[in-house]
Amino acid sequence: MKNLTIIFALVLGIFAANAIAKDNVLLDQTHAAKGIKCNSCHGTEARQAVTMLKCVQCHNTEKLALKTENVKPTNPHKNRHFATETDCAKCHHIHQKSENYCVGCHPRFDLVTP
Amino acid sequence: MGSGGLAFATLGMGSASAAPLQAEGAYGEIGGATLSFLPKPKSIADKDIATTQTFDVVVVGAGASGVPAALSARENGATVACLQKQPIPVSQGNTGSGIDLKTSDKSAIEALVSRLMADNAHRSHPGLLRQWAYNSGEAVTWVIDRMKQSGGQVVDQGTKVQHGIRGIADQGDRLNFVTSFCGPKPYTTGDGIRALAKTAEKAGVKFFFNTPAQQLIQDESGKVVGVIAQTRDGKYHKFMAKKGVILSSGDYQNNKAMCDFFIPDLKNFERKQMDRTGDGFAMAYWAGGVIEPVGHTKMLHDFDAGPASMCDMPFLAVNRKGERFVNETVEMSLMNNYLKDEYNAGHYSQVFDSDYMTQAKDWPGHLYSPEELKDYMPEVPGEKKGVYPSLTNTYSANTLEELAVKLECDPKTFVASVNRYNELCKKGKDEDFGKPASKMVPVLKPPFYGIHRRMRISTLCSGILVNENHQVLDADGKEIPGLFIVGNLGAGFYGGVDYPLTVFGLSLGRCYTFGYLAGKYVAKL
Repeated sequence: MKNLTIIFALVLGIFAANAIAKDNVLLDQTHAAKGIKCNSCHGTEARQAVTMLKCVQCHNTEKLALKTENVKPTNPHKNRHFATETDCAKCHHIHQKSENYCVGCHPRFDLVTP
Repeated sequence: MGSGGLAFATLGMGSASAAPLQAEGAYGEIGGATLSFLPKPKSIADKDIATTQTFDVVVVGAGASGVPAALSARENGATVACLQKQPIPVSQGNTGSGIDLKTSDKSAIEALVSRLMADNAHRSHPGLLRQWAYNSGEAVTWVIDRMKQSGGQVVDQGTKVQHGIRGIADQGDRLNFVTSFCGPKPYTTGDGIRALAKTAEKAGVKFFFNTPAQQLIQDESGKVVGVIAQTRDGKYHKFMAKKGVILSSGDYQNNKAMCDFFIPDLKNFERKQMDRTGDGFAMAYWAGGVIEPVGHTKMLHDFDAGPASMCDMPFLAVNRKGERFVNETVEMSLMNNYLKDEYNAGHYSQVFDSDYMTQAKDWPGHLYSPEELKDYMPEVPGEKKGVYPSLTNTYSANTLEELAVKLECDPKTFVASVNRYNELCKKGKDEDFGKPASKMVPVLKPPFYGIHRRMRISTLCSGILVNENHQVLDADGKEIPGLFIVGNLGAGFYGGVDYPLTVFGLSLGRCYTFGYLAGKYVAKL
């Protein structure tokens, strides 16, 4: 019953998210929609914290940098601080809204972070 | 114990209830205070070590001192590993300076050392200042050459850019500089150091990125014989050092507890760097090293909002609200002390009118014409040269009210401050802040200009006590065998409230020089 409730909540969540603006969708929903389960990232036993190493098992940082090459005003995935290896979690959050980490120092980097 | 999650949470807290964790939960002490930012290294069993490699020299940190140290050790015959926490070599700034011994008189060099002692509130180690003074020309020239070998965009600007040294040497005495400049922006020393790392790699230095050092390995006698580092997969690796370990892991601006303890003034300032958690401090402390006494030196600058060469010009200055707050002959490097409250948080604006090219022509620095200033104006369209377009913050306006809005000041307060300042200029007496009449230049003729600077933390430059060979000293003043420190992790070079701007590029010049010297020294052990 509990599982059903979770699935129901998840489905409802996706449905609700589709009805509103796309940038309000949290990344846990995006991942869930692609069939990625909690334990794909958090492990099967005690829940593990997720490091960048987990992200790069699926996301190739160099390909990602090429994909966002023309993003204005700057390519967030290739920068002078970390080249292509910025820790994903600086900007992208999974269970809460993502943030624009750059803007704290660079006021005109008005990037939208999914 | 409850769930695994709870056990995890208690680790960092040093809570009294977690008795079984006590052995691992010890913290360092300074002056009787127990300090959470000096956690005792956890013991890592040999079975948990994935790989062991042996080198002559292991350098921790690939920055402006670590990369020169690694290359210099390699050129002197050592096998060298350079461990770096970040995925690339990291450095900041543009200018790194040394004294050209061939064209300088010794009396002038000593006058400069004496001046730097005064700049540093007489708290520096004169031997370390002299080590920079008498070796930096050679070291900076070497860095320029080795950067160029891998395509580094670096030039020697010589003495003409050193505006701050005027009047230090006696008349007739010569004082000349090798001023390396990696630039113009957006090219910086970060790029220059990455070029230098390429040269080092070609020479045979082995770099290990995303591999932060965790702790030092000591033998029974206390000699430092290696480093344990961790890769992104969580695995531990031993890097054994036959001759010595050189720590060059930089400052602690992103470690809040350390800042609160050593420089509480930093509370409201933004940090320019990331991941500067002071890892080297805890490592050196637990190997017997001593952290420089409280009263650490900070560096807060903004060379990006407007021209660097106009930063010390005593134009009218107003705080974030728009009030005049200081005798403007105070240099930018000290301005943070007047702006450390939560509201101002390092923000102020320099304000001048369209006559500035004539009125300020003899002031310290170098003026940019209205046309040249456009590169620093985010409102002016077009391609910008020699700047970081995302950090420029200079404006012009035809009315004071309009300028106030652009500088994010309260227009009423701003206009009242300008009017009061103009009154004092007319009177020829600065009754509010005591600035000399010769620097009291009114703001009357439109268009008006404003440079909105924000003082953020570039670096902190106090560290672990070392001797003139950059070898770490214990609490009894004895050398710790096998352990060396260069760069901003090294103590004794500064000591004042702020880093002095007397010699432009002293900081990077010192990093290059001490890296160059320490690498050579350790390689020859």
